[in-house]
Amino acid sequence: MSAPLSAAQMAGASPVAMPADIERAARRVERRQTFSAAMLVLPLIVLIAFAFLIPVGLLLFKSIDNPVVAEGLPETLIALQSWSPADGLPSDAAYLGLKRDIEKAKANGSLGVIGARLNQDTPGARSLLQATGRKLDAVTDADPRQAFITIDKRWGEPEIFGAIRNAGDRYTFNYYLNALDLTRNTAGDIIAKPEGQRLHINLFIRTVWVSALTAFVCFLLAYPIAYLLAHLPARRANLLMIVVLLPFWTSILVRITSWIALLQKQGVVNDALASLGVIGEAGRLALIYNMTGTIIVGTHILLPFFVLPLYSVMKTVNPNLVRAATSLGASPFTAFRRVYFPLTVPGIFAGSSLVFILCTGYFITPALVGGQNGQLISNIIAYHMQQSLNWGLAAALSTLLLVMIGIVYFLYTRLVRDQR
Amino acid sequence: MFLPVSPTAGPLERLWHVVFSGLCLAIFAFLILPLVIVVPLSFNAEAYFTFTREMLSLSPEAFSLRWYRELFTNPQWAAAFRNSLFVAVGATLIATTLGTVAALGLAKLKPALRASVMILLLSPMIIPIVIVAAALYFFFTAIGLAQTLTGLILAHAMLGAPFVVTTVLATLSGFDWNLVRAAASLGAGPVHTFRKVTLPAIAPGVISGGLFAFITSLDEVVVVMFLASVDQRTVPRQMWSGIREQLSPTILAAATLLIVASFLLLLFAEMIRRRNEAARASTYKD
Amino acid sequence: MTSLVSLRGIQKTYDGKQLVVKNLDLEVSEGEFLTLLGPSGSGKTTVLMMLAGFETPTTGEIVIAGQHMTRLPPQKRGIGMVFQNYALFPNMSVAENLAFPLEVRKLPAAELRDRVEKSLAMVRLTPFADRRPSQLSGGQQQRVALARALIFEPRLVLMDEPLGALDKNLREQMQYEIKQIHARLGVTVVYVTHDQSEALTMSDRVAVFNDGIIQQICPPKELYERPGNSFVAGFIGENNRLQGVVRKIIDDDCLVEIAPGVTVRARKVGVHATAEPTTLSIRPERVKISPQAGEVDTVIAGEVESVLYHGDHIRAHLRGLGPTPFVVKLPNTNGAAATLVAGASVSIGWASRDCLALDLMEA
Repeated sequence: MSAPLSAAQMAGASPVAMPADIERAARRVERRQTFSAAMLVLPLIVLIAFAFLIPVGLLLFKSIDNPVVAEGLPETLIALQSWSPADGLPSDAAYLGLKRDIEKAKANGSLGVIGARLNQDTPGARSLLQATGRKLDAVTDADPRQAFITIDKRWGEPEIFGAIRNAGDRYTFNYYLNALDLTRNTAGDIIAKPEGQRLHINLFIRTVWVSALTAFVCFLLAYPIAYLLAHLPARRANLLMIVVLLPFWTSILVRITSWIALLQKQGVVNDALASLGVIGEAGRLALIYNMTGTIIVGTHILLPFFVLPLYSVMKTVNPNLVRAATSLGASPFTAFRRVYFPLTVPGIFAGSSLVFILCTGYFITPALVGGQNGQLISNIIAYHMQQSLNWGLAAALSTLLLVMIGIVYFLYTRLVRDQR
Repeated sequence: MFLPVSPTAGPLERLWHVVFSGLCLAIFAFLILPLVIVVPLSFNAEAYFTFTREMLSLSPEAFSLRWYRELFTNPQWAAAFRNSLFVAVGATLIATTLGTVAALGLAKLKPALRASVMILLLSPMIIPIVIVAAALYFFFTAIGLAQTLTGLILAHAMLGAPFVVTTVLATLSGFDWNLVRAAASLGAGPVHTFRKVTLPAIAPGVISGGLFAFITSLDEVVVVMFLASVDQRTVPRQMWSGIREQLSPTILAAATLLIVASFLLLLFAEMIRRRNEAARASTYKD
Repeated sequence: MTSLVSLRGIQKTYDGKQLVVKNLDLEVSEGEFLTLLGPSGSGKTTVLMMLAGFETPTTGEIVIAGQHMTRLPPQKRGIGMVFQNYALFPNMSVAENLAFPLEVRKLPAAELRDRVEKSLAMVRLTPFADRRPSQLSGGQQQRVALARALIFEPRLVLMDEPLGALDKNLREQMQYEIKQIHARLGVTVVYVTHDQSEALTMSDRVAVFNDGIIQQICPPKELYERPGNSFVAGFIGENNRLQGVVRKIIDDDCLVEIAPGVTVRARKVGVHATAEPTTLSIRPERVKISPQAGEVDTVIAGEVESVLYHGDHIRAHLRGLGPTPFVVKLPNTNGAAATLVAGASVSIGWASRDCLALDLMEA
């Protein structure tokens, strides 16, 4: 029954040259397994694609998509092709093209949309177009230029044609220029907007600053309680964990309502301070409807997002390491500084990048308690979406915000990798 | 709730221990007090957002159920509660089903592939909600889903599903796949095995993921703002208007109800988590 | 004895690069207790998983009781399996665990109850029928797993390191119980372990795996007494190894030069011609200290390096024979260790039938 193998047989079998058919068969099994697993994930991917990826993709596309003028004033744009504002007023062909374009737009009812689009770059263009539309019969083939100028003297300025041409590209980066507080002069060069109009850059800077500050305050508050939770006996830690989780589970609007009740001028905190005589009736503190409110409420809402990752990292730190450090002669403070704290740094990275990223996208809190100077970039996006209806600009700002978040996320993954 | 102090600790260490304990107490107060304070304020007899002198002296006339009556008799609030519940239940069912099935598939994918699919599935969690809401507004308007409860349910299901995926995956990471093999070796087919063996084992993850998805939908306001018509307003949307337009203690009453609801849901989730942990930890030691 | 299981030309690779099982042919007889023994990563568990149907062979085929099983899913194979860490369903009671395979097979309720009761009695767990697996001790869980794998009366039962999680005493008791059940039911068992004493005490035959290949397959006694190559000799029990070169072949024996001028006579196992390098393998308990004339065939001198007291036996490490200490194991009888003092010179010897010339093993 015994079947020992000789050394020679073994030497033949051991370093196997893998035959191609075996390799193929193994691949086939692997593909089949991957396929059946992927089929389970597919339904969710379809939902995410349908309710997230495709919509967001289309929104981002709006930041360069610019069909209104290109499709609304085609003849004008053809006539303006080789013209530049430096040449003075355009040729009669351009005026005649404009006349036919406006007639067509009036007929299919798109004149208002075209006007609105031009109005984004040139305030007043909308009413100009509407007024011109009403008096278009006055324009004849004889001297269309003069006829237009008679209708409104603005048609005698090259700038308006420059604006039409700038807005006439089918795809445009103008929304990005606007989002970055840049503009084009009449010659078409990119220049910075005048000092007073640079609101987007300031908003981006403010968003980063508020997010960083909130992340830092969250770190200061999260570290002690995460430490406490990680080192208490399980029963008491679980009880306290509920205190951390309850705000997490409670509606953001409920929490904002609470903070308004606490912090407003006639609120609980000011009432208490006033009745204690700390502040006078006139000296009531403005704790809400400003940047302070955004940061206080933001910290409260985001704190659990810092505590949880930090806590789970602290749970994995071997308690014997600190014991070892003290047995080697380190004071408790030195043991903390040299051994414990460095081991919890990954948790700090995770918590602060999470809080930072969530905060950059914050919308509800600044909208409700931010007042004038506590608004963040999300709020201006919503403003352009809902009120100014400049969707291209909203899309460009959204793209820039996503890029910013992507960079932070990338830096975070790099930091985590370097830590290992 | 305090850490024990070592008997060998020096005076400096004892002092630090006191300071540290006080600090923790203050931070916990910061977390929980804003929620607690709303509850008594919602019983205010006056239309104030703060404690009246009478309330502080605990005079019975200062307290009333006035704002609760207002909340329950106002048809707008009633519709809001109905809409919130309908949307949240629908979104939770979809998110839980798709999320659980997806997690089962993800657990079997190779790690490299799984990581990239996970980034895709979890991205709704970190993309600013305004961008998501604006994008949904355009897309759903184009395909006729805007201003429908179906559209809201799909959007909320998409926002809740990542929570289900992560919690179920976490439960699966401690799952003994030999149980599935054992069931197969004993003659059970895949469906029977899933119902009798896999599902009971991952149930805690499925339920807590589902609770997360439910609370996510119940809390969501921005997508509702962009997608819902006036009579499709949910509770948070109604509170938003309340905070923005006329600050009435009715929203304090609504807030109190929501706090109680989320407290109960949280207790339920914790109970499930602990029962699950206890079941795992109670393996008999010889 | 008829063959129940045939594995023919089985190869298995997971990644398409490395073969975990290489060209395996294996027959298991009806009623046999076959153990697959080997270090971790040797391919033994993969073979078991292919038998059970959890892995498909990349090439080759599996035939059980005349039926081709290679592409059949596990739930249609009707093979019992006892898993590492038992894989008892935590959400079901002991009785429900036992009833599971019978429910799946849609047995009538009365017969199902009857069988579960008998099965509980067989493993002496009747009082524990309504407990959850987590409320049982390790040994009890092990018995439930065993009963569950047997309750649907499979002809073949696979066991994947079933006793790995138990402590030593319990393990020996369970080895005995499994052996008893095997003898009583006459079921065929394929058993995977990395514990050689378990393999030797329980099996009818043992297949030693290494590097995806069966190094030797034979009854336990033969495995110890006549290892087929130096891997098996090293893996099963202890052995002393001496490197040498074959100088002469005499029938079944050969003469091997282990140092200039020092030649010993050995059984020819893995060598075929003179001038071939070889590894000599000598079991420590077959070495005699200060042998009488005629008692042994080979006598060599050595120096005692250290002596270790083990209670029932004494071990001595000797210097001067090869690069590593040469181990001698003596039963602890009166006066056995008298000559064994560190630093003393002793003569040792062994019979040539206890010295095997195997293939050369790289250090």
